[in-house]
Amino acid sequence: MAQKKIVIDPVTRIEGHSKISIHLDEQGHVEEAYFHVTQFRGFEKFCEGRPFYEMPSLMARICGICPVSHLIASAKACDQILAVAIPPNAARLRKVLNLAQIVQSHALSFFYLSSPDLLMGMDSDPAARNVLGVAAAYPAMARDGVRLRQFGQSTIESLAGKRIHPAWVVPGGVSSPLTAESRDRILAQLPEMLTIATRTLDWFKSEMEKFREEIRSFANFPTLFMALVGENGGLEHYDGQMRFLDSGGKVIADYPGSSYAAHIAEIAHPWSYLKTSFYKPMGYPDGVYRVGPLARLNVIDSVDTPRASQEWAEFRELDRGPVLSSFYYHYARLVEILYGLEKMEQLLSEDDILDPLVRAHARVNNGEGIGVSEAPRGTLLHHYKVDRDGLITWSNLIIATGHNNAAMNRGVLQVARHFVHGNRLEEGMLNRVEAVIRSFDPCLSCSTHADGRLALEVELRNARGEVVDSCRTR
Amino acid sequence: MPHTLILGYGNTLRGDDGAGRAVAQRLREALIGPGFEILSLHQLTPELAQNLSQAGQAIFIDASASGRPGRYMRVPLHAAPACAQFTHQATPEALLAAARALYGRSPEATLYLIPGQDFETPDSLSKPVRLAVDQLVSHLTESLRTAAPQR
Repeated sequence: MAQKKIVIDPVTRIEGHSKISIHLDEQGHVEEAYFHVTQFRGFEKFCEGRPFYEMPSLMARICGICPVSHLIASAKACDQILAVAIPPNAARLRKVLNLAQIVQSHALSFFYLSSPDLLMGMDSDPAARNVLGVAAAYPAMARDGVRLRQFGQSTIESLAGKRIHPAWVVPGGVSSPLTAESRDRILAQLPEMLTIATRTLDWFKSEMEKFREEIRSFANFPTLFMALVGENGGLEHYDGQMRFLDSGGKVIADYPGSSYAAHIAEIAHPWSYLKTSFYKPMGYPDGVYRVGPLARLNVIDSVDTPRASQEWAEFRELDRGPVLSSFYYHYARLVEILYGLEKMEQLLSEDDILDPLVRAHARVNNGEGIGVSEAPRGTLLHHYKVDRDGLITWSNLIIATGHNNAAMNRGVLQVARHFVHGNRLEEGMLNRVEAVIRSFDPCLSCSTHADGRLALEVELRNARGEVVDSCRTR
Repeated sequence: MPHTLILGYGNTLRGDDGAGRAVAQRLREALIGPGFEILSLHQLTPELAQNLSQAGQAIFIDASASGRPGRYMRVPLHAAPACAQFTHQATPEALLAAARALYGRSPEATLYLIPGQDFETPDSLSKPVRLAVDQLVSHLTESLRTAAPQR
């Protein structure tokens, strides 16, 4: 048999444009597999020359799903350029906004993008394997998803004025304080949201046994993990130290975000616009690591909200060390939704949450600023340099999907080797190849710094490089 | 009583693409009261299905890349699922289908399209589109003040 190549193009139910190619050897076994990101945006370059104070709003335009994450990382970088410590209530309000973003984004990923696989089955009719198929067959679950995302979006609107591309987070803090009416409206919805989060977690845990093969083969291998940790190693999404953990569970680095360049390096591959990050001291590919919900729950030592803490302890019992299967990203996302809701309740109940002092004003006092925060998909890093007039001269963005790129590629190879055999493409096996990518919940619009619509192509190529079969999502 | 839900949507940083939002913002001043819910949105998202399920009628207002600038077009809508693309953005037809599937009902709905002239990067509307916006605001204000069901 001649060598062949399978191409999945476009990959569906993810954010952005990509394709997967699977190369077969002469016996029809999977030899190599690649996840190609086929869009290019170039935000790092075209922001040069803009005033630094425009950066949060400019960077929020990178993505319609996680604009808040970019706002926050960008504003934190700008805080450093101002050289100010922002008012405590500004930090508190940014944290609430970031958690609302995480809740709505995780709800989108779990209920809209991945629940069709989990509820309808990986081999079910692709015509019905979508969120409307879920709505028809499992309306209660679909309503939960809609409600949870609606809550996250409306909370963002209550705080920041609008749901998509808000401009409320600014260098030095936020532009206006929270009103008592908005606080009370958000708090009043939290009991219902906590019920939905708990119900969904209980359902997922009861269903995991059905996905034994996927758990075993979905990017289930040793890598490093990286995330922010708060005080005492606690779960943290806004501030704290960056931590690397090895696959045995040993902390190998705790360092401030400002020294990221000593720990993280990037390389580019000719087959993708998405750069690949790795842990610099170990080089590439030994320094491959994962970020995002799975990594966050792996690197931390504690969770400071009661129900999420219990769920985290149960989650960590899945493995003796770090939880390695990327299928469990879904599980980790649900634990984080619960945490986000509980933490919002804590923060919104603090006495000073209505404090009107929410912004520090200053001129340019530093030529450089680095902002790090946890976006829904993982650690987000914005690094800017400015001239004496505050105009951007250089910028670097390291996005969660870039941190995960090497692991996603390795995951595609693993799942393809497990499920793809011979030279004939079957929809169910290709869906599993896509689903391993979906478990990471990549955001390609963010990571290539496109117009947001995801499309996936899979190609099958022979030994001479000729396409012998392909499929494309519509 | 069911109310009238008006959804104007588009990107205000892409010239005439913001026409639907301009109409929505003008209607917020003209149509005040519990009988109206008026939303100005960057794009349609799936969670709007719940709002739709509670409305007596829905009016979607969007810009159009086709048609003659300076006028508006009225298009009746019917529920029609859009499969894999129904994620973080949605079509009016898919939202109506989602409202029916999830909540058991969807309202009568109409789409008004305003043909645009310039979809580049100005944050203002072209002259013919401003005219069409004025015409549509007048038409909807007059017809909804008298005909829309009151909550």
